Amino acid sequence: MRRMLAALGGAVALGLVASGPAMTDPTGVDVIVKDDHGKPVDAAVVSLAAPGGGAPPRTAEAVMDQQNKEFVPFVLPVTVGAAVTFPNRDNIRHHVYSFSPAKRFELPLYIGTPAAPVVFDKPGPVVLGCNIHDWMVGYIYVLATPYFVKTGEDGRARLSNVPPGAYEARVWHPRLKADTEKTAIPVTVGTGETAPVSFAVALKPDRRPIRRPGYEGAQGGS
Amino acid sequence: MRFRFRSFRSRLVVVFLGLFALIQATGYIAVSAFVRASARHTVADELRLASTLFARQLEVRSQQLVGATRLLSGDFALKTAVATSDHATTASVLENHRRRVDADVLMLAALDGAVVADTRGTAPLGVPFPAPRLLSEAEAGRDASDVVAIAGNLYQVTVVPVLAPEPIAWLAAGFAIDDQTAAELRRLSGLHVSFVSGHDAAAVVHASTLDAADRATLARHLPVTRAAGTLELGGGEQLVRVEPVGRDAVVVLQRPLAEALAPYDHMLLILLAVAATGVVLALLGAVLVARRVSRPVLTLAGGARRVAAGDFDVAVAVSQRDELGELAATFNDMVGGLRERERVRDELERTAKLKRFFSPQLADALSAGDESLLASHRRHITVVFCDLRGFTAFAEAADPEDVMRLLHDYHATIGPLVFANEGTLERFTGDGLMVFFNDPVPCPDPAARAVRMAVAMRDAVAALLDGWRQRGHALGFGTGIAMGDATIGRIGFEGRFDYAAIGTVTNLAARLCQEARDGQILVSAPVHAEVEPLVDAKPIGALALRGFARPVMVYDILALRAEPAAPTSPVAP
Repeated sequence: MRRMLAALGGAVALGLVASGPAMTDPTGVDVIVKDDHGKPVDAAVVSLAAPGGGAPPRTAEAVMDQQNKEFVPFVLPVTVGAAVTFPNRDNIRHHVYSFSPAKRFELPLYIGTPAAPVVFDKPGPVVLGCNIHDWMVGYIYVLATPYFVKTGEDGRARLSNVPPGAYEARVWHPRLKADTEKTAIPVTVGTGETAPVSFAVALKPDRRPIRRPGYEGAQGGS
Repeated sequence: MRFRFRSFRSRLVVVFLGLFALIQATGYIAVSAFVRASARHTVADELRLASTLFARQLEVRSQQLVGATRLLSGDFALKTAVATSDHATTASVLENHRRRVDADVLMLAALDGAVVADTRGTAPLGVPFPAPRLLSEAEAGRDASDVVAIAGNLYQVTVVPVLAPEPIAWLAAGFAIDDQTAAELRRLSGLHVSFVSGHDAAAVVHASTLDAADRATLARHLPVTRAAGTLELGGGEQLVRVEPVGRDAVVVLQRPLAEALAPYDHMLLILLAVAATGVVLALLGAVLVARRVSRPVLTLAGGARRVAAGDFDVAVAVSQRDELGELAATFNDMVGGLRERERVRDELERTAKLKRFFSPQLADALSAGDESLLASHRRHITVVFCDLRGFTAFAEAADPEDVMRLLHDYHATIGPLVFANEGTLERFTGDGLMVFFNDPVPCPDPAARAVRMAVAMRDAVAALLDGWRQRGHALGFGTGIAMGDATIGRIGFEGRFDYAAIGTVTNLAARLCQEARDGQILVSAPVHAEVEPLVDAKPIGALALRGFARPVMVYDILALRAEPAAPTSPVAP
């Protein structure tokens, strides 16, 4: 359930980032991410970067909801400089924090949407927690490239609106064992072509605190 | 004899008592063994129960510790301090939180397992966490708890991750297991409690209710099986149970066997007292029974002693209907037999005595019947007196040996004739002899017998005297026979009685004997009248005899007539 919601959130985010007529352009990348057991990996972020840097980051705004005491989406990829708001849709307060090196911040107990969004100005993963709900875990993955996509439950995603050229594709996932930098594989995007990108990644076991059934407001979950 | 019976009695008592004591001892030993086994069993049960309880208690405690530690780990300030690598603050928070849950130590380990903070203050930092396995377990999401020896002290340690919300460090809380813990458990259970880590030679007793010496012994001899067993410590034999409380730690519960046996001691004491009382009662009973059994035996012995002393008038009174009663009856029969034999012997002896005076037949009759025959009475008897003529002169002149030999031959010759004619020999007086007839046993022909005897004597003595005459000794033989009433009976005193006839008839026979010359048999008229048909007699005439007022008519018996002519005398076979 939560994964579905997360996927939905991802789709919404993508819709905000990549919109317009490019949607029909076949130029792009078809992504598939599987784990080392061959099972599709949900919420993996695949990004393309020009080998020598290149395309300037595209700043944008993004939203990380707190809904039914969960972070929605579970994984939110953003570009460097993105301003993310943390609207609280629940009728109780939340206390969102992060101690991640990419972004350390704290939104002490609040209700509604805080006035100022949080700007993520360094690339890297940011682990979000709620001080009063141990099971609430969310990730904001800050990228230095505007070309990225998040996989759905089937482990697939399509990345469009990529200028033709040579790139390095990388994958990131909260439970990825390897260092994302080392997952780079070369990808050439041709005009009107769809390049396939396939990752097989080893994942760490899922050790998120369990939101036990019968817990306040719990709606199932894994 | 007495001693032997006494020993028989004591032997009986000893055997009886020995058997009883054996039974009592067997019973006591059996009960004692049962009690020991039962006590062992009880203690073993107690230890098993206590160890199960302890293990469960530790488990519960560990769960509580995990909960408490997890609560601490959720503290945002701690997370902040850890996340910002503010070690001084982290240490301060740890110390604060240690006090919150009253733990003995709190440690924080980095994700790589290095200790970054430790409330013990002096402990080194940057070293690997002492129980790395707990970190792995915590990482695997399990409740990580174990009893671990850290720097020589035993702790119950739990490890939880510090989540932000991913693990950023490991928080470890330790609760010391020390002598005080052991003492508390002892208060609860009454058992000796020791906590030991390590195996075999490396075993270390970290906390215990035992003293130092017993701790050392325990560490040395901790049963290899690490289960139930026994151990010899200062307090004697101990029943021991070893229960694991951690991967490398055990709790050793023990109880002295003596302590478990203590409540039974009283019971065994009572049992012992009962047994002792039983033995005493058995002793009394045995003595009574032995006395009862030996009393008839002693009675028999007494009877036997009296018999041995010659008293045959013994009859032991043993009324029992058992073997002893039978023995007593047999004994009485035996004494009866002896008494009878003695009586017969007495009779024989008396008969032999009687035979001195009476013919053997008469003696037999007397000894068989009562002695009333010998009582004083008056009877008409025929008295025969005879003696040797010239004997006094001979006795004075001759050698004593010759005198005695002559008397011997003389008596040997005439004695049998007295008995042959069933006469009563009243006395020998040297050469003289007095015999009477018709007493004590009456006979039909006393005079005839007297005369027949006298004739036989005269003939026999004549042959004897011929021999002596040839050796120059002129001796003769004279006989006097008279008939009349006489008083007859026993005279004399105890020890020397004679059967004597007293009366004129005796005197007359004596006088006639004096008057008779050698070979003459002088009889009084009444005698002659009696035997006239049997004999050839020559009247001598009336003689004036001393002591008799009137002259007495006297006959000399010359010879017996031939027997067949005598119709009154039956032919002897």
